[in-house]
Amino acid sequence: MSRPDTNPSPVVMRMNFRSNLKFGLVLATCSFSLVAYASDLNVPASMVAGSSLSIPTSGSGTATLYVAGPGTAIKRKVELGREIHLSAEDLQNAGRYVVSLAGDSATFFVTAGPVHSIAFLARPSRVPADTTGVISGTAFVFDKYQNLVLEPQTVKFELSANGQTVTRNETTKDGVAYTKLDSSKEAGVAQFVASSGPASVRRVVEQVAADPCNLRMSAVPDKHGILVRTDPIRDCAGNLVPDGTIVTFTSTDPRGTSTVDARIRQGIAEAELPAANNATISVASGVVVGNEIQWRGDR
Amino acid sequence: MKRIVWLSLALAALAALTLVLSRQNVAPVHAAALPAVTVSVEHARPRQVEDPTQKAVARDYAAAWQAMAEALDQNRTELLGANFIGAARRKLTATVAEQRKARLHQRITDQGHTVAAIFYSADGSAIELDDTAHLRFDLMDGNTVVHSQDGVVRYVALLTAAENSWKVRVLQAVPSS
Repeated sequence: MSRPDTNPSPVVMRMNFRSNLKFGLVLATCSFSLVAYASDLNVPASMVAGSSLSIPTSGSGTATLYVAGPGTAIKRKVELGREIHLSAEDLQNAGRYVVSLAGDSATFFVTAGPVHSIAFLARPSRVPADTTGVISGTAFVFDKYQNLVLEPQTVKFELSANGQTVTRNETTKDGVAYTKLDSSKEAGVAQFVASSGPASVRRVVEQVAADPCNLRMSAVPDKHGILVRTDPIRDCAGNLVPDGTIVTFTSTDPRGTSTVDARIRQGIAEAELPAANNATISVASGVVVGNEIQWRGDR
Repeated sequence: MKRIVWLSLALAALAALTLVLSRQNVAPVHAAALPAVTVSVEHARPRQVEDPTQKAVARDYAAAWQAMAEALDQNRTELLGANFIGAARRKLTATVAEQRKARLHQRITDQGHTVAAIFYSADGSAIELDDTAHLRFDLMDGNTVVHSQDGVVRYVALLTAAENSWKVRVLQAVPSS
């Protein structure tokens, strides 16, 4: 193996000297740029959305300013030695911004301003009365530029129905607060309000009767068969079960089984079953089973 | 002889066309890859995140980042697709419009996201994510890189369920805590 030549020829040395000189000049230019402008890009680490920003610069001549951030992209000539002004409009979206001037760059964050609006999810819109933790409310808090406010905020949840109001104060975490509330004993429309600072949003939650309690029916003969009819159907809190709820009547006799689904109208369900001499008639609604009647011809 | 002349002319025309095309300043189109996204759900409240939801969120959030990277690089809002809605879409649309006006674009080289679900609504319609993203940002003026930065950026994202997928409604970079 030959040993590498450690004594370069004069030509190589001259080339090295030239390239070193060039490299040195480039380095000096870069260093000058950095010295001239690095300290100029004096930006805060973070600022509030919708604030304006002035960035002092030094030096002379002109340079191209670049700003990039959410909803913002700026390229413009600026005069060095004068302040660069970024307007409130340029900095209204929360997020990460980059400022670049003459080869020097700085990064800063814009954070959300005070609460201005709420996105309120109230679920479900229809709930059974007198049920624990059935109503859920979720509130996302935003500033006036639709930035999620991540600093903790107090959100007041209020559920008002039948003259009674239940209030919960919750603190947001990462821009969101939530609560769970019980429905009231009585059926009816409830107002569900979430508010924080000047923002307030209202939703309507309809509280309807829960599952029927004490489902009872009676049967009478009619000219086409057996007429079955329930008593007024109420939940355990005494609320009338809503119209449209399905009630199933079943008649079983030696010939087989007949089933009729009927909807509740004004609190009562009724249906006509085929005539039978010896039948067992039952009634049910959802998971609730009512009374049973042994039908003997005419009674 | 005629054939040779025609062939020479055709070759000359082809060479001229190649030369003209090679001198065109055509910016290369950067197709962003689907980034790696891992989602942990241990800290999600008040509802526990189901396995299918966890997978769907990872898939849709990765698709959203890919779409955003392509839209910001090519300055085409249509590339955002159906991945963004609400404020996030409005802000990205504004970014693309401003970039186009200034003849700038951003190249995001996505090196992956470590995501924690921090909120999952009781009705399962909204999920909030805390994302530690490993990214390289290049701010480009034409083909010139104006600013380049490689590092970790923390994002808070709010996704809502719609049309059988998760859509990004809020995407906000936040200072590292």
